[in-house]
Amino acid sequence: MAVADMDRINVFMAVRRAEKPARRAALSLALPLIVFLVVAFVAPILYLLVTAVGNPETRQVLPRTLGALETWDGVSVPDEPVYAALAADLKVAKDNSTAALLGKRLNYEISGMRSRVLAAARMVERLDTGPYKQKFLELNKDWGSPESWAIIKRNGTSLTPYYLLTALDLQQAPNGSVERVQGDQAIFLDVLARTLFVAGLVTLFTLILGYPVAYVLTIAPKAIAGIMMLMVLLPLWTSLLVRTTAWVVLLQSDGVINDVLMALHLTSDRLQLIFTRAGTVIAMTHIQLPFTILPIYSVMRSIPATQLRAARSLGAPPSSAFWRIYAPQTLPGVVAGCLMTFILSLGYYITPALVGGPRDQMVSNFISVYINRDLNWGLAAALGVVLLVVTLAIYLLFLRLVGADKIKLG
Amino acid sequence: MNFSKRISPATDNPVDALVRFEDVKKSYDGINFVVKDLNLTVSRGEFLTMLGPSGSGKTTTLMMLGGFEQPTLGHILLDNRPVERLPPETRNIGFVFQNYALFPHMTVAENVAFPLRYRGITGIAARERVRQALGRVNLEALGDRRPAQLSGGQQQRVALARALVFEPSLVLMDEPLGALDKQLRERMQIEIKQLQTSLGITMVYVTHDQSEALTMSDRIAVFHDGRIQQLADPATLYNEPANRFVASFIGENNSLSCTLLAREGGLAVVRMADGTTLKAAGTNVSGTGTDMSISIRPENISLAGEGVRADLNRFIGKARDVFFLGDHMRLSIEAFGGQLVTARIPARQARHFASGADVVLECGISECRLLEV
Amino acid sequence: MWLPSYATPSERLMRTLVMAFVIAVLLFLVAPLFIIVPLSFSKDPFFTLPVKEYSLRWYADFFGNARWMNAIFNSAVAAVMTTILATTLGTLAALGISRPNFPARRLIMALLISPMIVPIVIVAVGSYLFFGQFGLTNTRTGLVLAHTALATPFVVITVTATLSTYDTNLTRAALSLGASPSSAFFRVTLPNIMPGVISGAIFAFATSFDEVVVALFMTAAEQRTLPVQMFSGIRDQINPTIMAAATLLLALSIVLFAMLALLTPRRVK
Repeated sequence: MAVADMDRINVFMAVRRAEKPARRAALSLALPLIVFLVVAFVAPILYLLVTAVGNPETRQVLPRTLGALETWDGVSVPDEPVYAALAADLKVAKDNSTAALLGKRLNYEISGMRSRVLAAARMVERLDTGPYKQKFLELNKDWGSPESWAIIKRNGTSLTPYYLLTALDLQQAPNGSVERVQGDQAIFLDVLARTLFVAGLVTLFTLILGYPVAYVLTIAPKAIAGIMMLMVLLPLWTSLLVRTTAWVVLLQSDGVINDVLMALHLTSDRLQLIFTRAGTVIAMTHIQLPFTILPIYSVMRSIPATQLRAARSLGAPPSSAFWRIYAPQTLPGVVAGCLMTFILSLGYYITPALVGGPRDQMVSNFISVYINRDLNWGLAAALGVVLLVVTLAIYLLFLRLVGADKIKLG
Repeated sequence: MNFSKRISPATDNPVDALVRFEDVKKSYDGINFVVKDLNLTVSRGEFLTMLGPSGSGKTTTLMMLGGFEQPTLGHILLDNRPVERLPPETRNIGFVFQNYALFPHMTVAENVAFPLRYRGITGIAARERVRQALGRVNLEALGDRRPAQLSGGQQQRVALARALVFEPSLVLMDEPLGALDKQLRERMQIEIKQLQTSLGITMVYVTHDQSEALTMSDRIAVFHDGRIQQLADPATLYNEPANRFVASFIGENNSLSCTLLAREGGLAVVRMADGTTLKAAGTNVSGTGTDMSISIRPENISLAGEGVRADLNRFIGKARDVFFLGDHMRLSIEAFGGQLVTARIPARQARHFASGADVVLECGISECRLLEV
Repeated sequence: MWLPSYATPSERLMRTLVMAFVIAVLLFLVAPLFIIVPLSFSKDPFFTLPVKEYSLRWYADFFGNARWMNAIFNSAVAAVMTTILATTLGTLAALGISRPNFPARRLIMALLISPMIVPIVIVAVGSYLFFGQFGLTNTRTGLVLAHTALATPFVVITVTATLSTYDTNLTRAALSLGASPSSAFFRVTLPNIMPGVISGAIFAFATSFDEVVVALFMTAAEQRTLPVQMFSGIRDQINPTIMAAATLLLALSIVLFAMLALLTPRRVK
């Protein structure tokens, strides 16, 4: 390396060293919040990731069985020692009431497994000695199925791809290969596609409605622009729940919108608006509109008036001046506003839950259902991971194109 | 006072006239007029500067000519054709804006090619024209850059190339050099002037910088309060200001109050506040006994010489402040009963004055100009 | 309206159409909010306009109901605690970030802003599962921790924005005049960035007071907040008492919004 290069590196390192105390002081101010967010925000999300791949049930409940299965060839019916181990494990499980837990977990992958496990647990309680194999097979011939045993053995690992695969409508065959879920089991890709579609539609509508508003905001006289700005910011300030409530009321079949449509003779029958996709998209568009308008407005405001004048003086007619000179310069605002709205729309929960029908529920709503009703935390977490990955991918795109410091509040 | 009708005979020739403002008035609210009764002719090949403080109406006048404002009353003729109702894109006028208004999402070459697209010039022909235009401003090599990658001076040149590329007969400039530092500004002044002369373009230039106006212009229209106060070539403007505003706005000036005593030949005799009488070259002002002012440029005042000369005014004052400025000395003198007079004495005449010392000064009678208050 | 005077007739027509469109969009933005107000004062339990007879019965219902009152109390306590925590943490962080030698600014800013970006349901489920490990679900502490995480980005953004217009020479001047760093901060810097800090605090308060999803997961009946109470109400059977609650929330939003507007003279152009 040339001497000059070494010198430059030395100077660089010296500067870094000299600046270190100041950097530390600056960082130390932000440290409390960083630590807080790591504990109260990042850790819960990481825990969600862990829950999505966690697989404790089989390991906890069937340690002996898994040990015995280690020498199993994977194709034949297992031998007596495996059944003996299973009987021992289930006896303990019956005492600890963990059999139901195991049954529920295995039931995700082998249908009917829940009742099989519970029945077997009741059976072994009455048995004192073996041989057990015959008894299990008598109780239910499926206990002799190598596929079931393969799945039990597979779940001996502490991590499982099961939930994530399920969230993507995939499953692992007993032989370990990944395949697409068929029939009415395959719902989640559909939900994800629906979520993306609704978010995209909402983004498109907010752009169409918001772009002219942002433009007029920049050219209106001060007093009128102030009032317009108030009309844009007030909804943003109003609780999301209040806005959704308003739409629930408006969209009722005996509600105000239907009244107006009837009065105008635009429709002869009252329309079903509440609990529909259209209602959901309308309400979401209303709620997201300010988020799209504000970044576009902020960019438009920075475009000097002379840009359009220059275009005209150089010979461009009005429409050409607008589309060739003005519109391209608003693009950064359009990108920022649309990405913002798209990202936020992906995570909607309240509005689809209250305004949408069963076919309009988004990923968030399914997550909630799996947490609260089905108590399938693994699947809820996995759906959360899928949603998070999609959102973060778009957020990264946003950061690349726009930058976090450009996020403004009105 | 209204001097807007003072049009020199040469430019009044309608054959030569490229632009004519005829009784143009502009008001935004119907009450206050930003431009009042403007009559102005710009002849072909001329470099005309509209000079004035902000709010004087000069920029509004330029915008009306460019098509960005419409006159409330009156007509604007371009090539003897009324254009005041035409939208800007149909006027074929080159316009260089304050801060240039270069399109940030286009390269330099795309910026310069932009006006060609609307004149049906595309492809190789357009590229050739762009190359030529950029060559004219010495920027051939920078066609692929974005405006943001250029220095202020380079951006200025691109704006110029863009306004010239479609060979308009008229180019308007709105404070085009305002954003540049002093040195660059002075260089660009010369470059723009040379381009204008060599291409034979008519230019109307707006600035509030008097030295810029004096350097570049064939004629200068001094705007104040919505009117042209004086329209003349730079030398006339400087040496024979038509009124107090012009006198004080162009260059440095001592404006001293006085009373007109009498007229003697082409000269006026005035009495200063302390009773001293001076002679002054006057405009055609009359009204003996009325309050007037005389204006004397600091560089026209010198230390009194040996003999008394008939063509010089001589007066006494007390030195207050003395500053040595290298090539000249600046004297602040209290004279005529407490009025402060500034004098610029060339360095070779300079002597040392103690503050409070009596000083005898003189200045040419033809350089003392009597003006109405 | 507001056209350059050189506009062509087609431009004028276009502009008229744009104006009509924009007015319609603005009505679309605001009208739904105010539709709930008259309904909450209606005597009838129907959601139809015009209101035939006005009464305060739904407000009487609201204020006479222990569950609604308890919900208001819970919301207020959680929001105040969230505001204090978020404002303190967020202001400190903004002060650090705004220093010229802050390391890895983009990365850390992205982290600090991310609670605004991550879908709320993920925060809710993550908090539910994680805080559950420490017995913090169905406690006010857990709710406040989660809400604080959601509210801090607003404080960071508003205070950072204010600091970007703050002249650091003021602090330098205070130090040169003999103030200690801490008294320079409290007597010179803080008063000057106060509008930003208070704006951030208002944002934080509103974030917590209006938040539904996390509260839905993190609270039991005892800690139930006003929005959760409303959400459950709408889910079961929407009734006019909910309109009264929504109207009160709307009024609160307007008050907070007005406070914010008074704090920051908005630059329109």
